[in-house]
Amino acid sequence: MRILVILRRVLDPAGLVAHARLRRLFINREEYLIEPGDHAALEAALRIKDGGGAEVVVVSGQPEPDDDTLRRGLAMGADRAIYLSGAGFADADDGVAAEVLKATVERLGGADLVLVGMTRLDTGQAQLGPRLAGALGWPQIVGAWSVEIADGRIRAVRRDGDDYVIVETDLPAVVTVPAKALEPRYPDGARLINVYRGEGGMAEAVLQWDVADLMDPEGLVPLLEGRGRDFPPERERGVRVEGSIEEAAQAVAEALRGRRPG
Amino acid sequence: MDASYLDLVMAQQEETFKDAEGGGGVWVVAESAGGEIAPVTLEAVGVARTLAESLGAYVYAALLGDGVRLLAETLYQAGVDGVRVADHPGLSPFGLEPHLGILVDLFEAEGPEIVLFGATEMGRALAPRLAQRMGGGLIERGTRVSLDPSSRTVEAAVPMYGGEYFEVLACPEARPQVLTIEPGTFARPFMDRYRKGEPTMLDVEPGEPAVRVLGPAEGFRPPEVGLSEASVVVAVGRQAGDRARVERLAEMLGGRVAGDRGAWDAGLVEADQVVDVRGVRVSPEVYLAVGIRGDTFHDAAMADSAFVVAIHADPDAPIFEKADLCVTAEPGEVVRALLTALG
Ligand SMILES: Cc1cc2nc3c(=O)[nH]c(=O)nc-3n(C[C@H](O)[C@H](O)[C@H](O)COP(=O)(O)OP(=O)(O)OC[C@H]3O[C@@H](n4cnc5c(N)ncnc54)[C@H](O)[C@@H]3O)c2cc1C
Ligand SMILES: Nc1ncnc2c1ncn2[C@@H]1O[C@H](COP(=O)(O)O)[C@@H](O)[C@H]1O
Repeated sequence: MRILVILRRVLDPAGLVAHARLRRLFINREEYLIEPGDHAALEAALRIKDGGGAEVVVVSGQPEPDDDTLRRGLAMGADRAIYLSGAGFADADDGVAAEVLKATVERLGGADLVLVGMTRLDTGQAQLGPRLAGALGWPQIVGAWSVEIADGRIRAVRRDGDDYVIVETDLPAVVTVPAKALEPRYPDGARLINVYRGEGGMAEAVLQWDVADLMDPEGLVPLLEGRGRDFPPERERGVRVEGSIEEAAQAVAEALRGRRPG
Repeated sequence: MDASYLDLVMAQQEETFKDAEGGGGVWVVAESAGGEIAPVTLEAVGVARTLAESLGAYVYAALLGDGVRLLAETLYQAGVDGVRVADHPGLSPFGLEPHLGILVDLFEAEGPEIVLFGATEMGRALAPRLAQRMGGGLIERGTRVSLDPSSRTVEAAVPMYGGEYFEVLACPEARPQVLTIEPGTFARPFMDRYRKGEPTMLDVEPGEPAVRVLGPAEGFRPPEVGLSEASVVVAVGRQAGDRARVERLAEMLGGRVAGDRGAWDAGLVEADQVVDVRGVRVSPEVYLAVGIRGDTFHDAAMADSAFVVAIHADPDAPIFEKADLCVTAEPGEVVRALLTALG
């Protein structure tokens, strides 16, 4: 049983200030988090490993090979880490990333399960998992709150409107995990030290693959293009709601409806 | 007006357009629930109409499901020019592969320029797969959608970190340009009750979904999020009124109950529910202050809230200076009315 977990990193919003009036973004501290959904996905993989054994491989396409992302993944309990790099990959979109990851799965000699975060913290996009499932031709489960393996099948709890249902599909499969689904464990202290010192087999656990060896770099053309930044209008504080209590309640309900997070 | 004549003219117009331009159009993948077209689908039709206007194109809808044929009427009223319906028992409940197969066949024949989905469970599962299969680009959860008419390219502002700022994205080289929109973001279009049309029925044989739904997850509870991570906080002061109503309101909004120091003194909330710089700091999407006056320590601990609603009987309560929406009335009464308005 081999589980591949995609570990991306994301700029910590605590270091960012979006200034609506100046229409500028200040990056005061450039610090990164493991993408919270990916972090939960790794926890899901490690629980499967704890339960019945599995080889957990983490993969990342970050700019630095000594990035903390993969090291922390190893310290949490992953068996191997693959760092992908190569020209043209830095500004890849999720369409490109899905093709690269497909090639990665093939180079690994296959996998039984790919786990990845459902929604990115920064961009809110949720397409890497489904695109990868499409590229591999595997079934997908989007938004699994819990994941279990039994008899060569995967069982997951997924939302269905306001309720939760149990779903099942055959392996191999791609499963995306919401950030809040599972609380990630802390890295193991001894492993952490070994990972950072490159000792105890940890040095060999990190593979560095060049994307050009996996696939034709011609295929790495992103479809998505950034066309600048925009800022929300400055908040107009203190809008008073007039009218009867019923009318005021209507106005509040209306404002809340547009804002309730999914 | 004679509806059949209208149908004929519209069908002819569709044909003329297709001959001239070789397909295209702005498409909405419609969603239905409980025997009605989903509100987000109507919002998408509104967006599609604006885009189609700038492009000089028609708006089409693909409506897939079981027993959905009659719902095409709603889509015509919302302003869709042509509806394609796949009505089959195998299309309900939603299954990815059956839907995907039909949409790919349809769109390979029709060659849409733009395809819109609601960012619902269905849209989130289906839109990326469709884009991937057709070599299309996907912009997710677009707000403020516009069109660069010279290159016929959609530009959409995508909220970063839940809306702190936006990145404007486009996929100029890819066709179709696929877009999902967040429910509740756009206005619904005017429903013209005299607008009619005859949907084209698709002859479909849906495949089997790869994922089987085994049944409800009895007893499953999603992990509790801590107050500091909650996306909706309903905070009470000493004068918040009936406690059970506040609890119900928080539940309806999917939020957590909290309180200020005064509410804690009065025994209304526990120590770990106190929003205060000496207690818990919160940064929710929505902070609803019910009967909270506001003071320096409380206000600083909730200052990162994205949207603040304050309800207090005293028009001079300091909390109103921190709020986006201010209601001056008896908090308990407003909560009661709010439960009705949201229900
Ligand atoms: C507001 C905004 C919205 C966006 N929306 C979309 C969208 O809807 N659809 C879309 O396709 N793109 C979208 N993108 C583009 C996409 O997120 C880009 O991949 C990203 O902007 C690249 O910048 P980064 O520095 O964050 O990349 P990084 O996160 O540093 O990663 C670089 C590239 O490697 C990929 N990657 C990261 N980790 C791995 C891994 N473990 N294995 C393999 N590949 C990996 C990333 O996806 C990216 O393509 C959006 C970008 C922005 C700014
Ligand atoms: N690093 C920063 N983080 C947040 N806001 C900033 C930062 N730098 C400048 N500002 C804001 O920008 C305004 C003008 O600053 P300046 O551009 O340095 O003249 C200041 O008053 C701040 O409100």
